Amino acid sequence: MNMNVKAYAMMPGKKKMKTRDWNALLFKSVLLLPAILFLAVFMYYPIEETFRLSMTRSTGLGPTQFIGFQNYVRLFQNEEFLMGLKNALLWAFWSVCIQIPLAFFIAFSLSVYKNKITKPLRVIYYLSNVLPSAITAMLGKFMFAPRNGVMATLSAKFKWEWLGKIDFLGNPDLAFWSIFAVATWAYSGFYIVYLMANIEQIPKDIQEAAQLDGATRWQYARFIVLPMTSYALRIVSLLCIVGSMKLFDLPWLMTSGGPGYATSTLGIVLYKNGFLNWQYGRGAAVGVIIFLLSLFFTILQFSLQRKDRDA
Amino acid sequence: MKTKTAKLSLGAESFPHYRPKLKEILVTFILVLLALTVILPLILPWMFVFKTRLEFAYNPWGWPTELRWLNFVEAWKVIRIGQGLLNTLYVCLGAIVCTVPSAAMAGYVFARYRSKVTEVLFYFILAGYFVPVQMVLIPLYQLCGLMGITDTLPGLFLPMTAFGIPFWTIIYRSFFVKLPNELAEAARIDGAGHTSIFVRIMLPLAKPATVLATLLVFMGSWSDYLLSLIMINSADRYTMQLRVSQFLNAYGADHMPRYAAAAIIAAAPTVILYMIGHRWIIQSTLAGAIKG
Repeated sequence: MNMNVKAYAMMPGKKKMKTRDWNALLFKSVLLLPAILFLAVFMYYPIEETFRLSMTRSTGLGPTQFIGFQNYVRLFQNEEFLMGLKNALLWAFWSVCIQIPLAFFIAFSLSVYKNKITKPLRVIYYLSNVLPSAITAMLGKFMFAPRNGVMATLSAKFKWEWLGKIDFLGNPDLAFWSIFAVATWAYSGFYIVYLMANIEQIPKDIQEAAQLDGATRWQYARFIVLPMTSYALRIVSLLCIVGSMKLFDLPWLMTSGGPGYATSTLGIVLYKNGFLNWQYGRGAAVGVIIFLLSLFFTILQFSLQRKDRDA
Repeated sequence: MKTKTAKLSLGAESFPHYRPKLKEILVTFILVLLALTVILPLILPWMFVFKTRLEFAYNPWGWPTELRWLNFVEAWKVIRIGQGLLNTLYVCLGAIVCTVPSAAMAGYVFARYRSKVTEVLFYFILAGYFVPVQMVLIPLYQLCGLMGITDTLPGLFLPMTAFGIPFWTIIYRSFFVKLPNELAEAARIDGAGHTSIFVRIMLPLAKPATVLATLLVFMGSWSDYLLSLIMINSADRYTMQLRVSQFLNAYGADHMPRYAAAAIIAAAPTVILYMIGHRWIIQSTLAGAIKG
């Protein structure tokens, strides 16, 4: 049969068709080549290397040595890594518990209480999201600076001594929350905009039916909007969680993971191991853990969603 | 009576039976307050930037007495902003030139030449959207070392490109899918080849996607911190964000007026571009997130 096709294609009248197919193939390959090359070289090859490196002792100089899972074992005995892992999980938990309800409240209020004042606010809320993280971190640092910082000035001006005594970034118990506050400021805008877009997709007649039945706005929020945006809420929660696993910029720029290891994150542990201590293998192992955690939460989210759909 | 309350309340047309006035005003008030917490920190630097160091030391929070642009000039010199800007611009341009055409071409093939092979390749690229940069930092650095591009600006924008391509391929693909097929058919009948259909007809039609991609790739590479921190070692090649954060670490909040000037310059392009294109930017960000 193959021969037949070939013979058919060889027929003088059909020759044109075959050349055109060749053209298409060439055209497609040329068009796809750059994208695939970029991904293969700068993404998939490094991924493979991350897995390989994480099983070796490697300092960048000299030969690498295969050591199996030793890097992982060492990491789980290392205080800084454990702290980073704990912080990542705590960060994920609290951002889902605080940032997302806050964003939902704002998004719902913005879409239900629509008036001249609230309409342009959406654009403002998102503004903090487009700020470069280095700038966000500097604003946060300045907010809490002991000298001339915003909080320090407030306490001096109003003679609030209790406020002046608080060391926002130097106190190990507080530093996490200070950074968290800045992150809430910086990232909530996205969740607001995303949830709002989903709330506004709810058909108008459902809202009308609710108001005909005498539902108040908050009943409408609780019994209609919340269930109807549950998918969107899950997606933003997932983004929140995955973001917490790879958190780096803000804590690194504001406290460098300190005081002690109090604000260490997985991203910081990776950076310190890989680029300050030149422990490539151990750094790569942290990378693998970041990847596995993100993958785990993504799969969990999608399997929960499937279960929901089946039920 | 009823119409009167409806008129008084700001937006009562939804839920008319419910007396919304007080609550609506309260909620509006809270929303405005929250928006102010977003805006105020952004205004802060402007309070300091026109002051001398002495003025700042004695009265950091007073209104500026006169518009002194000296701090911008000084910051420009001390933090070497000129060079930082040039480096950042180079990186942004590089990222745009590499990302946008690659994504447009790939997106076009995935939209218009569907087959089993392209479908598999599409998943190959789509999966890249979920890979966190953090995971591959160390091998990426080693790879750039092998290629001899560590501590150079291409070493910064080439990896950036790889991590930008998946998102923009998805966007271009969904854009090209929506374009009508008739145009391409007509051109084909007129004897146009694959290349000329793509370059002369489809690409111009995809202009909105191209503008958006250019804008957002620019903003993204302008704001990058992590990759720059790892790839760039010598101060001559520091990008704007690195310069600003390095200055902050070196001098702390004491040189605030000058520092504020640098921060304003470092943040201005993204903020201004956002102000101009906020509608598109929000929309495309949502498109990406919904896909993910």
